[in-house]
Amino acid sequence: MVGLADGTNTRTMDDRPGPARRPPARSRSRGWERWAPYVLVAPAVLIIVGLRLYPLLLGVNFSFTGDGDRNGQPVGLDNYAALFDDPLFQQALRNVGLLVLLLPVAVAIPGLLATFIYLRVPGHRFFRSVYFFPAVLSPVIVGAIFNLLLAFDGPLNSLLRSVGIAPVDWLGDPGVAIFAVVGVHIWATFGMALVVFLAGFATLDSALLDAARVDGAALHQVIRHVIIPGLSRTIQFVFVTTMIGMLTAMFGLLYVMTSGGPEGSTYLPEYYIWIQQGQMNRPALASAASTVLFLIMLVVGLVQISILRRSGRED
Amino acid sequence: MKQRTLWSAALIGGLALAGCGSASEPESSSTGGSGGSEDTLVVWDWKSGEENAAAYFEQAKADFAEKHPDVTVEFVAQPFEQYYTLLGTAIQAGEGPDVVLFNGGGQIRDRVDALLPLDDYVAEDRERLAGWEAFSQDGAVFAAPVTLQGHPIYYNKALYDEAGLDPESPPTTWDDFVAACGTIKTATGADCIALGNKEGYGIEFFLSAMGSAVLTPQEYDDWIAGDRDWSSPGVKQIFELWKAAGDTGLNNEGANSTAMFNDSFGIFQAGEAANMIGLMSDIGHWKDFNEFLGAENVGVMLAPVVNPEASPSLPYDGGIGYAVMNWTTSPDLAADLVRSLTSTEALEAFHADAGAIVSDTTIDVSDAGPAVSTIVEEIQTGRQALHVALSSQTLELIHRLSQQLLSGSVTVDDAVAQLAASDQAG
Repeated sequence: MVGLADGTNTRTMDDRPGPARRPPARSRSRGWERWAPYVLVAPAVLIIVGLRLYPLLLGVNFSFTGDGDRNGQPVGLDNYAALFDDPLFQQALRNVGLLVLLLPVAVAIPGLLATFIYLRVPGHRFFRSVYFFPAVLSPVIVGAIFNLLLAFDGPLNSLLRSVGIAPVDWLGDPGVAIFAVVGVHIWATFGMALVVFLAGFATLDSALLDAARVDGAALHQVIRHVIIPGLSRTIQFVFVTTMIGMLTAMFGLLYVMTSGGPEGSTYLPEYYIWIQQGQMNRPALASAASTVLFLIMLVVGLVQISILRRSGRED
Repeated sequence: MKQRTLWSAALIGGLALAGCGSASEPESSSTGGSGGSEDTLVVWDWKSGEENAAAYFEQAKADFAEKHPDVTVEFVAQPFEQYYTLLGTAIQAGEGPDVVLFNGGGQIRDRVDALLPLDDYVAEDRERLAGWEAFSQDGAVFAAPVTLQGHPIYYNKALYDEAGLDPESPPTTWDDFVAACGTIKTATGADCIALGNKEGYGIEFFLSAMGSAVLTPQEYDDWIAGDRDWSSPGVKQIFELWKAAGDTGLNNEGANSTAMFNDSFGIFQAGEAANMIGLMSDIGHWKDFNEFLGAENVGVMLAPVVNPEASPSLPYDGGIGYAVMNWTTSPDLAADLVRSLTSTEALEAFHADAGAIVSDTTIDVSDAGPAVSTIVEEIQTGRQALHVALSSQTLELIHRLSQQLLSGSVTVDDAVAQLAASDQAG
C-alpha cells in the first residue's frame, strides 16, 4: 500500500504544472528528485528501524544482562551458558529437530489427500470441504477437544480397550505426548496445505495423467512420475509454510494440551521463553532464549529463500 | 542476493556488538513514573472481574472512600495466565500500578525488590490477620493477606460409610489409611486418592499435606527456615511415599495426564475417589465439594501419621494478598487501600460469596458446614506449607521429577539429589 501511495506522489510531482517546468526551477527539482526516493521510503524505514530493529537490538542487549540479584548488570554470555546447560532448553531444541524430521509426514498427508480429491475418489466434494474445516478452529478449541478425546479415561482409550488393546496414556507418557501434540497440530492445520495443493493441481496438465493412464500406469506410478514432478514448486512452498507453522504456532496447543509436560517432554523454545519470563521471573534468560529462537528462524528463513529462489530459476 | 547476504551479516554483526554493551540502569524506580497520580490509585489483580468477589470489592471501596473521599481507585482485572508476565514487564519498565495482588510464596518473594515494605503501615492488623509469612522476606512484610490457602486432606464420608468404615473417625496412621483404601476399593470400586499431576502440582499438594506426618517438628521448622536436608531419611520418605502411592495403585489411573484444575477435583466430586488433597480457597475446596457431595459428606482429616515422632498439622499460608509497588507516588494512600482491602467487613463478604477461607480469623464460619469448621479449627495449630518455602525454579523441577517418579524414569535418590542442587543454587 505504501509503495502505491508513494508512486502516485512521485507522479504528481513530475506532472507539476507551471513554475516547476521553468528552467531555473528544473535544477532545484532535479535535486529534489534525487532525494525524493529516500524521503518517500523514510516512513517505512523509520517504522521498521524504530519498531522492529531497535527493539530487537534492545532484546539482544538485554540477554547479556542478569536476572534477580544481578538485574541490569552485564553478565556476558552467562545466560547463554545457563540456557544450553538447562535440560529443558535442550529438550526444546531436540523437539525442534523432531519437528523437522516429522515435516515430510506433515506435507505428505495433505499432498496425498489432495491427490485423492484430484483423482475424484467417490465423495471428493464432501471431503474437500470437511478437510478444510479444522483449519478455522482456534488452537485452544482444538486442544480442549483433544484433551477430552485423548484423556486416559477418554473415548479413544475406551475404543482401544473394547478391541482388546491396552490403553495408552496419550498425554501422560513422555515418549508419546509430543507425537500426540504434533499429530493434533497436523490434523488442525493440514486443511490450509490441502488448499494450496489443490491450487497446484489446477495447473497440472491433465493430458499427462490421461496419457499415463492409457499407458497402464498404476496409482503409485502416476504419483511418483507425473504428480510429484508436476507439483515440485507447490510441494516446496508447502514445506516452507508448514515448517514456519510448526515452529511458531504450536504454543496454544502446548499450553492447553500438555503445559510442556509430561516430564518436560513437549517443550518448544516458544513455550520455554514464556515460562522463563512469566513464571520464573527471569526475563534476561528469556531474552537469550528468544535470541536463539530468532537465529534458528533466521537460518530457516534464509534456507527457505534460497530454495524458493533456486526453484524459481529452474522454470 | 549478495547484497542481501551482506545486509544480514551487517545486522548480525550489529546485534553481536550491541550485546557487548550493558543494559539500562536496573533501579530507576524512585524516579520512575507511577500508574496513578496523587489522587488516583491503580490496582492490578485477577479477582476484581469475578462475580463472586463483587461484594468484597464493594465493601473495600466503601471503606477506603470513607477515609479518602477525594481519591479515585481504578481496579484493572488482568487475565491470570498473563498476570505475572504483564507485571514483569511493568517491573522492568519501573512504572505501572500502585497496588497489586500477589500469590504468596515464590511469586512475591521473587519480586520484593520492586515492593514497598509494609511493616509500619499494617502493624495494627498483624494480630487480626493470619498468613503473613507467605508475604514476608527477611523479616519484612510486603503484602497483607486476603485469603488463606492450604492443603487439607478431604475425604468422602459417604464412601467410607458404604465400605463399612466409621466416617467420623478417619484413619490416623498411613497403614490404616492404606488399609481403609483397600476396603473402600473392594466395597465401592472407588480409587483411594484423586490425583491430577499433569501440570506437576500434585507433588506440591502431597509434599505439603504429608510433610508434617513424616518429618519431626524440628525437621519441619528447619525446612521452613531454609535449612533443608534433602538427603535426610524423612525427606526421602516423602518422595518414596509419593512413588509408592503411584506404584501400588492408590491414585487414579493416568495421573500424569490428569489436570489438577479441574479434572482431578471432578474425580473426587463424582465420588470416584475416596480422598483428595485439595485447597482451602478459590477452587477445589470445601465449597465446591459441598455442592456436589453434600456438606454432610465432606470430611477433613489430619495427615495420617507415617513417622510416630511427627505431629501432623494443617499446612497453610497466606493465599493471595495486596502489595504496594515501590514506585508509587503516594505510599500512604496505597497502604491505606491495602488496609481497606483486608478490612473485616470486606473479608466477611469474600468468605460469604466466594467461599474463601479468609485471613481474618475472627470471622464466624459456623454455617458453612463441618469441613470448614475443621479447617478453621486446624488453622490454630497449622504451619506453613513445605512447598511454599521453595523457589519457583525448584518447584518447576519438582513438577517434572514428580512425573518421572510416577513413570519410573528417575529414582528417589536421583530426584532428591537434583532437588538439593537446585535448592542450593536458588
